[in-house]
Amino acid sequence: MAIRRIPLLLCGGLLLICLTGCAGLKKWEMLQKAGELPARFELKTVPFFPQKAYQCGPASLATALDWSGLPVSPEELTDEVFTPVRKGSLQTALISAARRHGRIAYISTGMDVIFSEVAAGHPVIILQNLGLSWYPVWHYSVVVGYDLPKKFVILRSGSTARKIMPSRVFAKTWARSNYWGILILRPDQLPAMAKKNLFLEAVLGLEKARQFRAAIHGYKTAMTRWPQNLTSLMGIGNCHYALGELKDAESAFRETVRLHPKEGSALNNLAQILFEQGRKQEALEAVKKAVSLGGPLSAVYEKTLEEIQAGAP
Amino acid sequence: MHRIRCSARYVSFFMTLTMIFMTIPLQTVCAAMVGTETVLTITQTQNARENLIRFLERKDVEAAMTAQGVNWFEAKARVGSLSDAEVMRIAEKMDQLPAGGDGLGILVGTALIVFLVLLFTDIAGYTDVFPFVKHQKQK
Repeated sequence: MAIRRIPLLLCGGLLLICLTGCAGLKKWEMLQKAGELPARFELKTVPFFPQKAYQCGPASLATALDWSGLPVSPEELTDEVFTPVRKGSLQTALISAARRHGRIAYISTGMDVIFSEVAAGHPVIILQNLGLSWYPVWHYSVVVGYDLPKKFVILRSGSTARKIMPSRVFAKTWARSNYWGILILRPDQLPAMAKKNLFLEAVLGLEKARQFRAAIHGYKTAMTRWPQNLTSLMGIGNCHYALGELKDAESAFRETVRLHPKEGSALNNLAQILFEQGRKQEALEAVKKAVSLGGPLSAVYEKTLEEIQAGAP
Repeated sequence: MHRIRCSARYVSFFMTLTMIFMTIPLQTVCAAMVGTETVLTITQTQNARENLIRFLERKDVEAAMTAQGVNWFEAKARVGSLSDAEVMRIAEKMDQLPAGGDGLGILVGTALIVFLVLLFTDIAGYTDVFPFVKHQKQK
């Protein structure tokens, strides 16, 4: 019975490999024809940290952090990133470690996208499965270059400083992680192919990691690309508030109200800050305006109104 | 035994105090502020819904749907009855199309196919994007 199953498994496996392989190659041809990218590009000065056993996560993250101007060794990152039981690093651990170092971790995926990023000077950490789909050998490496005509990518991978991987192998191994990749950026950098919601979520991650200074910077960067963006404006105010900088928070929310007069949330937060500064009358005016605007958060505004009314004058 | 009880009293007293200190100031201060994450989620779903409706209202989309034998009014009514999470899921799917864009620059053909495929797979009961579709399993 078991013997009979082997050819079937093999056939299935081969079919799968063929299908994914074809898809990957087709895209590669399209990339070359599109002609928007430089045909070949390499970030030669990206540092290299040869990995120790199973330590590809910390090594890759150290490479990217160092490139972003934050010199750290993989050893320093091991505790934050490495999960001994799994003999590896989880993707979420990499992201949160980057955030705790005040860097934006931006999810980047797709062959065309990561090549554009590399060409813009952003190396990309990717997750590959070097084994098979049913016997996975997960591995992080950093894409630092590519050559479209010769069909290969250049990686900082494992103990190889400049690994040349043929496009066919690269496409197959990367596909098994669903093309997972991240950029590690300084808060003043935008991805070359920035998507608004993804970038805002990445900056929000900084705020949640309590890296408020970096988050304020990140929101300001977002506004260079998407001026008057509501989330960024609110984020700046909330970060200043979290840092206890009530004056700065107040001016941030006033700016938000000026640009988005129909947004109750900004008025609500402004009211709270005015109230905390002992300006109850102004606070009441603001929160009443929020209540009259209504919207999906009207319950919150009403609660704020109640609390301000109940509070000391 | 007495000693344990004695120390337990101190420990519990200490724990009560810390818990009070930990929860009370947080509640009174944070309850009133609208967090950035809330703002982001709300704007995302609002934009997704607007984009979806704008997409449906395009003349070429309407024409393509009629050509495919899909009742346009029915489709629009269905989009209106989707929950936020469902709208987000469709918007994400349409965003992943190679032509990209914000749901407006999409090629009509591909986007329509995605839309119809979602409808179709839902009939087969594989996904739950369109709850108004009657699943075969439920019959």
